Amino acid sequence: MDVLLAALKLLADPYVIFLIIASSLFGLFVGAIPVLTAAMAISLLVPVTFFMAPVPALAVIVTTAAMAIFAGDIPGALLRIPGTPASAAYADEAYAMTKKGQAELALGAGVVFSAIGGIIGTIVLVTSAPALAEVALKFSSFEYFWLVCLGLTCGVFIARGSQTKAVMSLLFGLFAATIGMENPAAYPRLAFGSVDLGAGIDMIPAMVGMFAIAEILRVVSQASVHVPPIYGASGPIFAGQWGLIKRYPKQWLRGSAIGTLVGALPGAGCDIAAWMAYGSSKRFSKEKEKFGTGHVEGIVESGAANNASVSGDWIPALVFGIPGDSITAIVIGVLYLKGLNPGPMIFQNQPEIVTAVFIVFFIANILMVPFGWLAIKASVHILRVPRPVLMPVIMMFCIVGAFAITNSAFAVAVMLVFGVLGFFMEENGFPVAPAILGIVLGPMLENNFFNSMIKADGAVWPFFERPIAGALGVATLAVWGAMIYFALRRRA
Amino acid sequence: MKVSDLLVGLASVVFGLAILGYGVTLPPMPGQRYGAGLFPMLLGAGFAFCGALVARKGWRERRESRAPLVALADWARDRYLVGNLLVVLGLILVYVLFSERIGFIPLSIAILIALFLRLRVPPVRSVVIAVAATALIYVAFARFLRVTLPRGLLEGIVW
Repeated sequence: MDVLLAALKLLADPYVIFLIIASSLFGLFVGAIPVLTAAMAISLLVPVTFFMAPVPALAVIVTTAAMAIFAGDIPGALLRIPGTPASAAYADEAYAMTKKGQAELALGAGVVFSAIGGIIGTIVLVTSAPALAEVALKFSSFEYFWLVCLGLTCGVFIARGSQTKAVMSLLFGLFAATIGMENPAAYPRLAFGSVDLGAGIDMIPAMVGMFAIAEILRVVSQASVHVPPIYGASGPIFAGQWGLIKRYPKQWLRGSAIGTLVGALPGAGCDIAAWMAYGSSKRFSKEKEKFGTGHVEGIVESGAANNASVSGDWIPALVFGIPGDSITAIVIGVLYLKGLNPGPMIFQNQPEIVTAVFIVFFIANILMVPFGWLAIKASVHILRVPRPVLMPVIMMFCIVGAFAITNSAFAVAVMLVFGVLGFFMEENGFPVAPAILGIVLGPMLENNFFNSMIKADGAVWPFFERPIAGALGVATLAVWGAMIYFALRRRA
Repeated sequence: MKVSDLLVGLASVVFGLAILGYGVTLPPMPGQRYGAGLFPMLLGAGFAFCGALVARKGWRERRESRAPLVALADWARDRYLVGNLLVVLGLILVYVLFSERIGFIPLSIAILIALFLRLRVPPVRSVVIAVAATALIYVAFARFLRVTLPRGLLEGIVW
């Protein structure tokens, strides 16, 4: 109870409330603009949060992520261009509804079931994370080593396209993390005498580069795409939503469950949750034939799923320090910057901060309903902001943001290099998310490996000796074995 | 720009081997068999191995379909679009090199105007938005977040 009061006190600050409202609007705006993803919104915000106290910083991230993931539905329904990859699964369906004159029903379902999914996901987060943290308290470097391996593997497993290329992307990220002095031997690796390189590659400029700069390059290198006529949503948004809640209880419950679970898996985020939920809703539907023609059922399930996964992603991030997706990869970076090392101890040492974050999750998902209504009404104007005006301003923001982290132009150069790299990687079928996962988890992997090696005195057996470590180790090796087996069978 | 998997793979093999070679030169930790070199060695070897797989796949594809080594994407054939790409990269580089000397405010306005004009935003609108956006970013970062942005030419004028 004391913790709850302390948490509420942290939040009942006009500054924090102002930030929650401002970041809601920012998240809705970024999510509603087709090219800008939620991960990009968060990476743009990190330099800003750098200068805030922990609670406002995390509140800003939570709110922005939740709002951006919902707002991605808006251009999906009105333009057939998903605002974020998380809305891609049902953009066709929503657009088909819009063409039938049901834009209000589609977008209303987007808001209502996003909020429901988000709240269910948060309830699971609030109940399961502290319990898992109890277990994780007993973890030693052996368990963490395997957990990181498993997280990295999931990141590769889930990437679409060539798995070899996903592995290479991951290895590259791990490699980038080895640059500098931050290693168990404190040896200035690959620094070549440079002080800047000796300090290592900062994760934030690298991420801003790979997500934001690469995206800017993609936009300016495309001939101005023909913008289809924008449908408005002028009718009442919430009419008929209560009926949907009563009609499809199984769908939104299942969607929320899938979303939370997929979110909690390291490496898998909202977009995969939405695809899986859309698939399951079609599979179990009594009206399969209506899917694709503008049928709201799939939107109910996958709209709930992608927002549930926003909360689910935080479970491994808070408990183990292993990101659930690229957004929480950034969150973990922010937690370290704030001196709040993620891991089970955070629940013991800073329970009021964790509780405050949980409360912000509820607030953000409740605020989503009125703010989402506002965004839908304003969407026609948001979608008309021309990209040639938007992109240069975003670029300047990235430059200053990267600069602000270390106060040196070196960070801007890092951002530039990773931006070019990210652009060419995507052009050639290399997913960038595993590279980010590698940069974030690289030091954790290496440190836990060396700590374990020193404890085990160079032997392999102790890696499997403790029961949980053994189970995790066997699971990791089994997944690797399966991946190699299927790769070989596909080839044969 | 789609580069053939053959070339990407071969380049990755070279890069991986270079990392591997570098890792070998690092000393082990005192009292341990391994040191700072172990991870670069493992990563380099893994990267080279995956690179070889990708190269092999690229080799087969080329044998079957005679795909070109470097396939230009639509944008790479269009001078204007390639130019856009280079202008963005060039302007960021300009910021890296000259921000200290010229200062954030003048440089940001200049970079924004240059990019707006390149992307065919009308001139008057370009100038107005460039000044407004710079002012907004300046206030947000320098005043609100207290980041020391480089002053450059405006040293002593803006504080």
